[in-house]
Amino acid sequence: MPAAPAPGITVLHCINALTDVAAFALHSTENARIHAVKLPCSGMTRDIFLLKAFEVGADAVVLFTCPEGACRHLDGNIRAWKRVERVRGILDEIGLSSRRLSAFSIAPGDQEAVSLALRKVVSELAVLGPNPAARACPEITSGLTSATTS
Amino acid sequence: MIVGTQKPIAEIKAMVKPYRRLLVLGCGTCVKTCFAGGEDEVLALSSALRLAFRVDGEEIDVKGQTVERQCEDEFIQEAAGGVAHCDAVLSLACGAGVQAVARRYPNTPVLPGVNTTFIGVREGQGLFTEECIGCGNCVLAEFGGVCPITRCAKRLLNGPCGGSRNGKCEVNPDTDCAWQLIIDRLKLLGQLDALRTYRSPRDWRPGIAGGPRRLVREDHII
Repeated sequence: MPAAPAPGITVLHCINALTDVAAFALHSTENARIHAVKLPCSGMTRDIFLLKAFEVGADAVVLFTCPEGACRHLDGNIRAWKRVERVRGILDEIGLSSRRLSAFSIAPGDQEAVSLALRKVVSELAVLGPNPAARACPEITSGLTSATTS
Repeated sequence: MIVGTQKPIAEIKAMVKPYRRLLVLGCGTCVKTCFAGGEDEVLALSSALRLAFRVDGEEIDVKGQTVERQCEDEFIQEAAGGVAHCDAVLSLACGAGVQAVARRYPNTPVLPGVNTTFIGVREGQGLFTEECIGCGNCVLAEFGGVCPITRCAKRLLNGPCGGSRNGKCEVNPDTDCAWQLIIDRLKLLGQLDALRTYRSPRDWRPGIAGGPRRLVREDHII
């Protein structure tokens, strides 16, 4: 019986919080398929970005922001966290579970914190299982693989 | 502007369940400003609906489009192509927009995705307050530019009621007492004596109590 594929995680991150995607490399090869999306500021996060990631097959979506008070654009990170909270409400409402969407504040260059956060998400996914909305639409799930960065 | 809030997704989902091809139609004017039915909301709701049905093992074809205003036929006509290829339209406009779209496309069910709430102003980012009920006979000149009909919970024209505390309404402590605002503003304008005038019971017929209203501007009709 073939092993279950590693969970797919879409990571949106502020380029000021995380400039080097090398932090994802270990997880991309071992624990999860990571699809990283750079944002000029986490404040550019929109509800549709988060929801669309689930539509195209992500099992979880993670947002990395700068710590509070450290946003180069003043309050972009606070806006991002509020949007995440709103979309978490939507996920619960549609039965997809808000636990699939999380946000973390990351000090610039703190790759250990990134690894820790991703490990936490992977362990959460071990309980939640695959994204049921993606499972019902296999052709879209396969789209994630082609978009995956390693 | 007209202020509204999006209906809960569960309610929308139940409403659109009989249809396989749905057009979510946004409005780029009032409801966009209050984050209920603009382009961003159309995209997010369309995505949420697709996900919600997939969670149940169903597929629904949801497309989105936003027109400038759903309360004007010239703009509504821009949606003709999308409407022709759907089983139903989920309008994210106010009640006027929903009805105008339904009038333009009588053979397609048009469903409301927004609860129209009030005529108000944007006080700050994400904060909207009711300021006008469209009573049809504006009295703002007599009350220092603060409407007692809309903003006083008791609709008092001969206030205050005596129940306000620290400038807040006794009905809802989050709301400013309209009569406190009226008195403060009239003091500022040096017009406090205006409140010595007794206001007799109001004729409500120019408002909705007189039935649906109609405005005719002959000078604009060819």
